[in-house]
Amino acid sequence: MVTDATTAYRPQPGYFDEVFAPDGTPHPHAVSLAAEIAKLGPELLTAAGHRRDAIFVQQGITFDATGEEGPVKDRPFPLDLVPRILPAREWDHIERGLMQRIRALNRFIDDVYHEREIVRAGIVPWRLIVSRSHFARAAHGVRPPGGVYCHVAGCDLVRDADGSWKVLEDNVRTPSGISYVLENRVAMTRLVPQFFQHHRVRPVDHYPQLLLAGLRSVAPSAEDEATVVVWTPGPMNSAYFEHAFLARQMGVELVEASDLVVRDDVLYMRTTAGLRRVHAVYRRLDDDFVDPLEFRPDSLLGVPGLVRAYRAGTVAIANALGTGVADDKAVYHYVPEMIRFYLGEEPILDNVRTYLMADEQQRETALARRHELVFKPTGESGGKGVFIGPSTSKEALDGLADVIRAQPEKWIAQEVVNLSTVPTAMPDGSLAPRHVDLRPFAVFGETIRIVPGGLTRVALTEGSMIVNSSRGGGSKDTWVLEEDTGADVPREGDTQLHEVMPTNMPGLRYGSEWTGQQQQQQQRRAEVGRQDPRGIGRP
Amino acid sequence: MLSRIAQELFWLGRNVARAEHTARMLDGVFQASLQGRPDDPAGVRLGWGSILAIMGSQTDGRPVRRDEVLNRMTLTREEPASVISCVSRAREGARTVRDVISAEMWEAVNTTHLALSAGDLEGRMQMGPYSVFQYVKERSALFWGLTSRTMLRDEARAFLVAGGRIESADMVLRMLRVAMPAPGEHAEGTDGVRDGQALALLQAVGGFQAFRRAVPAPPNAGPVARFLLYERAYPDSVAASVDAVHGALFDADEVPRSSEPVLRLSRLAADLEFRGRAAAEDGNLAEASSLVQSELALIDADIAERYFAGAGAATGTVVA
Amino acid sequence: MNYDIHYCTSYKYESPVTDNLNALRVRPATTSNQRCDEFHVRLDPEARIHRHVDYFGTEVMEFGVARAHDHMTIDVRARVVTSEPPEAPEAPWEHLDGETYAEAAGEFLLRADDEPDDVVLADLLDIARARTPLATVRWLNELIPDRFAYRPGVTYVGSTIEDLLKAGAGVCQDFVHLGLVLLRRNGIAARYVSGYLFSAPEDGGTDSVEVQTHAWLEALLPGTGGRGEPIWVGADPTNRRLAGETHVKIGHGRRYGDVPPIKGVYRGTARAELEASVHMTRLDPAASARA
Repeated sequence: MVTDATTAYRPQPGYFDEVFAPDGTPHPHAVSLAAEIAKLGPELLTAAGHRRDAIFVQQGITFDATGEEGPVKDRPFPLDLVPRILPAREWDHIERGLMQRIRALNRFIDDVYHEREIVRAGIVPWRLIVSRSHFARAAHGVRPPGGVYCHVAGCDLVRDADGSWKVLEDNVRTPSGISYVLENRVAMTRLVPQFFQHHRVRPVDHYPQLLLAGLRSVAPSAEDEATVVVWTPGPMNSAYFEHAFLARQMGVELVEASDLVVRDDVLYMRTTAGLRRVHAVYRRLDDDFVDPLEFRPDSLLGVPGLVRAYRAGTVAIANALGTGVADDKAVYHYVPEMIRFYLGEEPILDNVRTYLMADEQQRETALARRHELVFKPTGESGGKGVFIGPSTSKEALDGLADVIRAQPEKWIAQEVVNLSTVPTAMPDGSLAPRHVDLRPFAVFGETIRIVPGGLTRVALTEGSMIVNSSRGGGSKDTWVLEEDTGADVPREGDTQLHEVMPTNMPGLRYGSEWTGQQQQQQQRRAEVGRQDPRGIGRP
Repeated sequence: MLSRIAQELFWLGRNVARAEHTARMLDGVFQASLQGRPDDPAGVRLGWGSILAIMGSQTDGRPVRRDEVLNRMTLTREEPASVISCVSRAREGARTVRDVISAEMWEAVNTTHLALSAGDLEGRMQMGPYSVFQYVKERSALFWGLTSRTMLRDEARAFLVAGGRIESADMVLRMLRVAMPAPGEHAEGTDGVRDGQALALLQAVGGFQAFRRAVPAPPNAGPVARFLLYERAYPDSVAASVDAVHGALFDADEVPRSSEPVLRLSRLAADLEFRGRAAAEDGNLAEASSLVQSELALIDADIAERYFAGAGAATGTVVA
Repeated sequence: MNYDIHYCTSYKYESPVTDNLNALRVRPATTSNQRCDEFHVRLDPEARIHRHVDYFGTEVMEFGVARAHDHMTIDVRARVVTSEPPEAPEAPWEHLDGETYAEAAGEFLLRADDEPDDVVLADLLDIARARTPLATVRWLNELIPDRFAYRPGVTYVGSTIEDLLKAGAGVCQDFVHLGLVLLRRNGIAARYVSGYLFSAPEDGGTDSVEVQTHAWLEALLPGTGGRGEPIWVGADPTNRRLAGETHVKIGHGRRYGDVPPIKGVYRGTARAELEASVHMTRLDPAASARA
């Protein structure tokens, strides 16, 4: 019953495929998964895809995108039903690498707003730091509770042609996507439960608890339970679904700026029962819109006085003010150096080779190779303003060179990474290789905790490496296995866990004998040939 | 009204509620079981063996296989506790009282039964039992919605509601007791395991979001058990169900002040209120669940005694 | 010189407002040429004042009035002693190169995102550069007021350099912003200074004078010796001269937005009517002969 869905699949030469070896046989840890996909067959896979779309539309898990014929609204989030599968040892490597990186970034942020040791040591130039658009002068000299700045981090990882993992960028402002990770998993267990049969996949649904515990652990509260809120810019924000999702899952209020007020130096929210103290704010907006008294004077969006409350230490803000300085592609360049400087360790995860345009020599070398490199503005995220040399016209690249020479400190160049591929379902249910990246989500409270896996984004167009959902990308459920191969898993989900039978548990009660007989009599009277009411009320 | 009709209505309510609770429980456990051992104690699950324990079925000592439990508890007509058996019984009961309940309620039950009996249900279970469970949950909600919109608020409705709510209380108590046995009752019952079961339990009952909004504490064993037992604001808590049963019978009874079940219920409601304020540690909670469950069994017997002419007092208990 | 400064701002609201939060940057700084001896702020309605020193070293006083109120008076009094700054160093352009200068210059050389590009500034940039950095500073003190008229009301606090270029007129703040850009484009680090300016009455009297909060700039000029430390030199393009002992500095920043004297928000739809006055009184008329 093995169909051509998987047997016809061949990885693209020159790229690492995460399920199949170049000869078309699956990697050892993915053998069972490949077999289950083959067993399901293209038709049922397509049918499951239709059910998925219906469920997502019903649940409102949709997004708006810009299509070829203008904007499209309320499209079901494109979850590809073929999961991405990572064996335990692979994840272990990533997890250690990310923890190391986040620890170093956190140290860097603290250093930048205090002692500036890394500047004095001549490793990162001060001019580079102060010219970052997210360098926050209002955060100068303020140390948040526990010294934690990046409570929530989502670093983007990619896999090169040799299969090695590399960090592409560090998202430590307001990384989004975790809600999709959780919703994808729920959808997968409902739509294709058989795929899970032979694997032990590590769950992801404890993320909201990790986040809540992390936020509470840094909240300056003498009481037992600190009041935490999620601060959203509002329903018009493209990630509003996620803001509401997290608030709901954590059981905390979803607030907008107008719900918050600072009195003296304490933050409160306005409730029907009067003002209620807030101890920690998970904010999903940039520094600029936090407090009109400190940041953008032209913006009245924020909460006046919030920075004062923060400075007084009466409220924790996650991520901390000023954290964005580490969310910058020129600062990214120095992260391996930070790891060595602050931690005295060698980086576990490498950077993608990066060139600083502020450095004249690097700039001119890179611009000479502009048709081969990727050029990115330093302070943007989400693929905004990125030029991919090999797929950009010569005129555009020449224009870009002028722009870069005018403001070189605002640009970097990177080598192109040949993103790895994962088999992805086509409309007809057949599989084809498509490029992916990975955004794992970390929570930094008392310690750093990372949810196994993360958001795998997949470019749905053949050959494309653009994975952003706003530009036609989809996503995949990301499986981190308990084991390195699929071999040692019990068959068919046998379990013997917790077979607990408390004492004195009464048996289930049913309607009395008398009732059953009555029904049978009635039935006999009423009609013949009705289904026999088996199993009714017999001991 | 006729005792027989009152009893039919009471059991119609119980069977609809039991079908829904069983579906929710199976769905919750199924989803959790697909994923591996978590690195957080908070994510541990109810096992398949637990389900059999909850439903009063026992195993013959063989390992419990997921698909076996799923099929048995969902589709097997020979298994009296299965979803389909509950729905069948509800349908037969509804047919008996067709003249009392509204036509729309009858159609809701009948259609559910037909849909579950016809069609390739096993195929659907194979593809993913979610859609089957979802269907049962939705139909149950439809039935109760129609009850509140279309049925006269009379004595008949009181018995229907009383049955539904006493069943809810019983099912939640069963799940609670299995997920959180008294300390020392089970060797494996470390705190971590029991906390994890608490979360799975919340999800199986469908009360996770309500818990999150009502309780600031993390979903560990103690807070979850307290919530499911005592939180009157949560409609599926034992306390709320007991209140509802009490309210329904109080309305239905000609002389509630001399009615044994009504008096018992009001004592139990007061007791839950008192325990809810005092509850501190989960040891008491396990004991409390057990006591409340026994008390409910007595109330059940009293109801049969007073209203159903003693017909169901001592018989009809199934111990598989 | 000794000054007594009285800076009074009062707002009247058409109807009551609530949650009126303000940040003041009004306290004269203590520098090598200046010392603030006394300083008081009185508020009406009363409010608790929270103080901190910001990133640029300016003391900030913050306060909020939550309850409904229909007016707000901020009454600031300070006593300051100033002295004439040392002679500005006249070093050649080459002294701008090198690590010492770059380090001292820091972010005050950097271009801001909303600055006009070279094309827009072309005709000014063509002639802005003089023989030495100091000569350039002096030249800009003439060039800017020559080109642009001092005319209040043409621009507002949020105006950009392009607004000034378009209007052909502006106030001290606009002159300084333009001066900063022209200096930085020539490699001279420059910063915005907020403060008070004592303008002696024409008749040379020594009485209390009605003045205004003022803005000027400081340029970082390289030292003259081989490794001479660069020093910040004040220049006031509105008044065509280098800053002296009549300039009382509050603080500096990259631009106006870093050191606004008063910044506030309140909740309410009422419009506010503002009255502000600065009185400076020279307390040591005997010393005026030196001025």
